[in-house]
Amino acid sequence: MKKVLVLGATLLSASILSSAAFAADKQVTVWSWFIQSTMQKSIDAFEKAHPGVKVTYTYYNYSPEYITALKAAAASDSLPDVIGLQPGSLTQQYRDHLSPVNELAAKEWGADWADKVFPVNRKQMLMGNPPGDANYYIIPQESQVLCIWYNRKTFEKLGIAVPKTYDELKAAAQKLSDEGYLPLFQGAADGWQNENVFLMLANQFAPGLTDKAQAGEAPWTSPELVSAMKAWKGLFDDGIFQKGALGAHAYPTGAQLFAQGKVGMMALGSWWMQESKFPPPLSEFVQNMDGFDFFYLPPVPGSTMASPPVGGVDIGYGLTRNGAENPEAWTFLASLTNGEALQEALNDLNDLPAFAGHEPKGDVSDHVKDLYKRFMEDLPKAENQRFAIPAISEALDNALAAVAAGSSEPEAALATVQAATDKALGK
Amino acid sequence: MSAISGRAFEQAPKHYRRFAGPWTYLFLLPAVALFVVFIAYPIVWVLGESFFSVGNDRVNRFVGLDTYLSVLADPVFWIVVRNMVLWGLITIPVQMIIGGTIAYFIERHTDTWRGFFRTMFFLPVVTSVSVISLVWVQSYAPYYGIAQEYLKYLGIEMASSPIGDPSTAIFALIVVNIWQWTGFSMLMYVAGIANLPTEVLDAARVDGARGLRLAFSVIIPMLSPVTKSLLLLGVIGTLQTFPIVQLMTTGGPNHASEVFGTYVFRTSFVLGDTGRGATISVIVLLLALILSIVQIVYLGAKLSPSGRKEEGA
Repeated sequence: MKKVLVLGATLLSASILSSAAFAADKQVTVWSWFIQSTMQKSIDAFEKAHPGVKVTYTYYNYSPEYITALKAAAASDSLPDVIGLQPGSLTQQYRDHLSPVNELAAKEWGADWADKVFPVNRKQMLMGNPPGDANYYIIPQESQVLCIWYNRKTFEKLGIAVPKTYDELKAAAQKLSDEGYLPLFQGAADGWQNENVFLMLANQFAPGLTDKAQAGEAPWTSPELVSAMKAWKGLFDDGIFQKGALGAHAYPTGAQLFAQGKVGMMALGSWWMQESKFPPPLSEFVQNMDGFDFFYLPPVPGSTMASPPVGGVDIGYGLTRNGAENPEAWTFLASLTNGEALQEALNDLNDLPAFAGHEPKGDVSDHVKDLYKRFMEDLPKAENQRFAIPAISEALDNALAAVAAGSSEPEAALATVQAATDKALGK
Repeated sequence: MSAISGRAFEQAPKHYRRFAGPWTYLFLLPAVALFVVFIAYPIVWVLGESFFSVGNDRVNRFVGLDTYLSVLADPVFWIVVRNMVLWGLITIPVQMIIGGTIAYFIERHTDTWRGFFRTMFFLPVVTSVSVISLVWVQSYAPYYGIAQEYLKYLGIEMASSPIGDPSTAIFALIVVNIWQWTGFSMLMYVAGIANLPTEVLDAARVDGARGLRLAFSVIIPMLSPVTKSLLLLGVIGTLQTFPIVQLMTTGGPNHASEVFGTYVFRTSFVLGDTGRGATISVIVLLLALILSIVQIVYLGAKLSPSGRKEEGA
């Protein structure tokens, strides 16, 4: 009997102690497509600064896993506390399931907190909100600037200078092709990469016009956008993009070839710097970004200026309605976007910060510091790269593919984008 | 043998009738519950969603059959239908012919290497679609691709990628699908050939049937249940096509390789139009239902042992 009593008392104590241990750990759940190893560093930094809070991160590939999981979880009201978002269409799709963060952010960072967010990001945070809705449903974590990266070692070896004109760009592509390299690798099977290049081109002809067009304030068939579409076709016809670009993917194919030094140029963005922080072995080009540098697309025929910086939010996070009931969820979100957790992501060179006043620390070479500094100088004046309505970006993707394939003329293709815009805006 | 089976079959109902009672219906409950929760309810939910549409004011409104009419008037829908028809008409017979031929040669003309060849030809079936898509995208790439490496010895330079050209994209994907699934057809035919009664084959040989004559007049007709099963599975597989297209072209360029799977996914998840996505799903469901009924009517009964008995009688 005594033995039974002792055993019972032991079990009861163990049960109480374990309950207490569980109760001590407040939980925060996070879903995103953000690289797992970097997120883990961010979580470790956060948990160290906030003992007693445990963050559980679930990583998904963006498509189809992440967007499918979000849809299912939203339908069953089982979204986690914090979700990774892109500004515009993805945020708007889940707006009803997100909690506005204006008050929490003002309490955390002061009333003027939004001024510390780069202008292009601030604009994208409100993108797609109904008229009069000034709520922020997404807090950006990282920003990006689109550009043309080039392999400077290959350029040097072949005696190619950074192109300042379209003819120089064409000559550089020709030289690279002649020497057995891929010229400017375009993963044109990916709509996002085509959009990025088109936005670089369109902003050469009329900065900000694509924003007006997607808002229904200017026609997609504007002469400037038609010129941009013709220039887009020219990149294929003039041999600047590699042969068969329409069947190629930027990731993993293009990125791997670029990292291996088999590609001369590639239209990517500031996020390319993170390659240098990937686990070894790294190629001689990727090591400390030694082999790479960037430029903006030089003026294409009909344009008088090079592409301005185009970019905005790389990734942001939203507080779900479930997360709004968990105070630790906001604490983590604040840290991830503008605190110790963000610093870890920046140290991994994941991308540029969304808030001013941050920079990577730790093992960063002078060359990377220089690249970073140039991007940060350009970020405040970047043009918007995001779309508020997915049907419009989808129509643009199709128009770009049709023009590139030669199955549609630029004017006709842009007319289909206009039709999709009119339909989406209920005109 | 069949007489014994027949007696056993006749006795069975009496045996079970002794224990029959209303409570025995409870045994159906797990199956019915699973069917209702995982099949019936989602179908009814999707059907309901197809009659609603979210407007620009984000209000979900009843729109009746409007979305159905809109989908049927959408040229992209008919591109998808054309692609699906091409997919089914090409992949199913080609896989059967190549798979059947491989199976015939492996079973009839190999001995010690039989296991090796069976495994090798079946390997693509169990290989991850992600890996297959990566390899084939690389193979199709002009200038730096795997195929180009060999074609250059013949003096051929690919001008474009087959998956990047709207006129060839769907055919390029069909080739990949055939490459991946021919091993499955082969395996089915291997099983069919292994079960062929040797008496019939010996009798045919005694009667002078050899080579192609033996194949076309004896073996192929005797393998018709396998062929019909492959036809049934091929139609189902065609309607379910998704990962290879999503990974290699995402339905592009400009919808040229769109299939029902990518069309529904794009509409529902990328564009966020649940109502329209549900409508397309219901149309696909109806199509699958019609095709299933047609197949059950013309093939289904003959696939079962009793059907074969009737056919034999």
